[in-house]
Amino acid sequence: MDSASFQFVMFGLAAAMLSNLSRSRVWRSIVLFIASIAFLALLSHDPIVFLPLIGFLLLGYAGLLLVERGWSKAMVFSLLAVIVVYIWLKKYTFLPEGVFLRSAYFTLGLSYILFRVLHLIIEAGDASERRHVGLGAYLIYTLNFTTLVSGPIQRYDEFARDEFAIEPIVLGPRTVGLQLERIVRGFFKVNVLAMLLHAVQEDALAQMSQPLPLPQKLFSAFRLAVAYPFFLYANFSGYIDIVIALARLMRVRLPENFDRPFSASSFLDFWNRWHITLSTWLKTYVYNPLLMALMRRISSVALEPLLGVFCFFVTFFLVGVWHGRTSEFVVFGILQGGGISINKLWQLGLARGLGRKGYKAFAKNSIYIAFGRGLTFSWFAFSTFWFWANWKQIDKVFTAISIAQWLVVWLAIWLSATVVLSIWEVLRAALLSIKTAEGPVLTSRYARVVYASALGLAAFVITFLLNQPAPDIVYKAF
Amino acid sequence: MNDAHLRFDRGAAAGDAEGCRERKLPLRDWLLLPILSLLTICFLAAVTESIARRMFSESKTDEEQCWVLNDPTTGVRGIPNSVCQVKIPESQLTEYKYNSCGHRAGMECGPRQPGAYRIVMTGSSFAMGLAVPREQTFAALLPQELSQRTGHKVELYNVGMGYRFAHSVALRFDDALAAKPDVILWAASPMDIEQSSFVVPASQASAGRGLWIRVHEALGRESAWNKARSLWEIASAGLFSHLEASRTVLMLQHFLYSSQSLYVSSYLRGGDEHSGFLKAEPSADWKNRLRQTDMDVANMQARASAAGIPFVTVLLPNRSQAAMISMGEWPAGYDPYKLEGELRSIVTSHGGIYIDILPDFRNIPNPERYYFPVDGHPDANGHAIIAGMLAKELARGAVPGLRATE
Repeated sequence: MDSASFQFVMFGLAAAMLSNLSRSRVWRSIVLFIASIAFLALLSHDPIVFLPLIGFLLLGYAGLLLVERGWSKAMVFSLLAVIVVYIWLKKYTFLPEGVFLRSAYFTLGLSYILFRVLHLIIEAGDASERRHVGLGAYLIYTLNFTTLVSGPIQRYDEFARDEFAIEPIVLGPRTVGLQLERIVRGFFKVNVLAMLLHAVQEDALAQMSQPLPLPQKLFSAFRLAVAYPFFLYANFSGYIDIVIALARLMRVRLPENFDRPFSASSFLDFWNRWHITLSTWLKTYVYNPLLMALMRRISSVALEPLLGVFCFFVTFFLVGVWHGRTSEFVVFGILQGGGISINKLWQLGLARGLGRKGYKAFAKNSIYIAFGRGLTFSWFAFSTFWFWANWKQIDKVFTAISIAQWLVVWLAIWLSATVVLSIWEVLRAALLSIKTAEGPVLTSRYARVVYASALGLAAFVITFLLNQPAPDIVYKAF
Repeated sequence: MNDAHLRFDRGAAAGDAEGCRERKLPLRDWLLLPILSLLTICFLAAVTESIARRMFSESKTDEEQCWVLNDPTTGVRGIPNSVCQVKIPESQLTEYKYNSCGHRAGMECGPRQPGAYRIVMTGSSFAMGLAVPREQTFAALLPQELSQRTGHKVELYNVGMGYRFAHSVALRFDDALAAKPDVILWAASPMDIEQSSFVVPASQASAGRGLWIRVHEALGRESAWNKARSLWEIASAGLFSHLEASRTVLMLQHFLYSSQSLYVSSYLRGGDEHSGFLKAEPSADWKNRLRQTDMDVANMQARASAAGIPFVTVLLPNRSQAAMISMGEWPAGYDPYKLEGELRSIVTSHGGIYIDILPDFRNIPNPERYYFPVDGHPDANGHAIIAGMLAKELARGAVPGLRATE
């Protein structure tokens, strides 16, 4: 149930059908709440394991109430308390082993609940946005089963606008059809594409330690590096496709989390397209306040761009560190923050060297964009080694071939990504340019029915006839 | 592909946000779209199945037409002087030619060539060389390899046969002794131990009766709900088994199982009956199988000793076992060497000789490539590798008569 399984989809569709029995917001809220509780109950039958989660939710709500009642000084305390308890419950490895709870307990989705709780507390402290969030609304928002496991991270006002609307948003046959097609697409991505890409990566990893001739070993290194970003995309975005569609069938619009990330021509652009709700959250609550605070303290105009670079580093370092509890994720964070900062410095340097107009013209150059796209993919692929591997595996992989050979592999990845992703962009544009009066043929409902049927058939054969289970949703571990 | 849809979805969502009413779906689409979906599925299923049938064709005949399958006193045996031409979906057309003793030996049964050292090999389908031309089987290649390594003239008489698992090997041990060997080699596979009590296959008639018995039982249930549920289970299981038997499924399995990790994980999920021998702690069923094997080995060893002939056993790994050994890592609770350890102790405890080729698979990258991915038997390349490994171990001195000359 905590993956993009057939059971999860059926559960979501049943909840959506029940929810649509009445247009009343009370009814819809009751159905969503009961479905979310039932979802948790299906994940664990032992109520005791939920006690820490309940405590965490109550702590967050207490903090929210204090801030809502005008105790603005309580905001910092509440935020710190929630973060500290979160770190403790998630058993971050820098804390001593002895302080952790001994018995097993439920932490699935805790990271995403954290973001929602922090968002509520911070917004409650904003004098311009006074509102009261009742306990029921708080629980429905934080425990919403469509966003519990892996997001997306939705703002409360957006959630409340749809969930508690007197007149619910339209849900006609066209929208239902689009959502069903999206569920099939998401199911295919997770259960077929991600499964195959995972196998490619696992095979390549095993081959790295086998006695293979050098060309084959280099090819294994190439596949190992390239397969994981695509796997992660199929795994995570497929799950997000399913939950966005299920929520939409319950008349709630969840924010998009991906926007063609491998089309990004720079690392800055990449993080505008990958896990969008996470990067947006951190830009809102870390980057902006930090930059404002630094600019207030350091008033030098010359240093302003560098302050931005520093804030970018801190923000995306936190993006990386958030993903895990071990030292590997610190390196992952440094690589994300480093990539973003170097990218920003490069832009600043070019703008200074070429002038604003010159830089703008240069940035539009299709060859520059193509190589930028290839480099962005390569850097992300490189950084993901600290995302999926532990130090032992990293050591094994990077010592399997020499440094010079790795450089050849990364150069090959950069060039291949440049060429392949460019061909994909051109092909996509060409296909979408075939239009009728209603829009591109490829996005017509007839085309959608054809490929949803094809993807559905493939997913059925792989999942049910071949009984091939897909790997877990990677982001549910965070 | 995804991107275009996402954009479109967002457009639709934006329409909602503005409070736009959704445009009505034209009436014709309520009929057209389901038909389009159905046609797509039928078209793809038909095209894929026809491609699969072309790529993975099989002969109408099978190797069992050359076998006697219904004699529990002897186990499965070859029909003397019969010839069958068989193609399984993953193999080439293969000829099975049996001599006057019903053996796929590549020679007439009778005395050895003058001056030759004769190995008589027994075992099941691995030893027999199922789906591989006889001249490419390790039974055919091993004498050449051994002759080169030892300087002796070596010949191999193969009495291996499909379904000749551990107990049947013991039942037909006289075949091996009658061939007047210098040494008897039992080339066992994990399947030989899994099916250690097997003698002859169940007849098709009894399998057919099973379906009617199940339907009858379903109709005899108390409530209408239980009847309906049982019939539904029988029907869906029947439909699934038909779909699973399609060539499309075989083709997809063939390509998916080319992946080492996918194959191993699928195999380990296959249940204790098939993959239990890979567990570090065998189940009670596997312990029973090993006990049965122990009795059969004791019997064979006693007869071989009485005839003064060395009895040598080797375990040939199956596809997943070879892959796991090559990977060097396996999930907790598993051990691809476990069965070999058990078999070695059984064989040596009765005074037999055990030779060990499993560790050699560590040095072969992706050894699973040398097996048919779905069928699971070694292909011609696999047989060549096994022949090399066996020759190396036999020439090392495990069998005094085969020790390499200085």
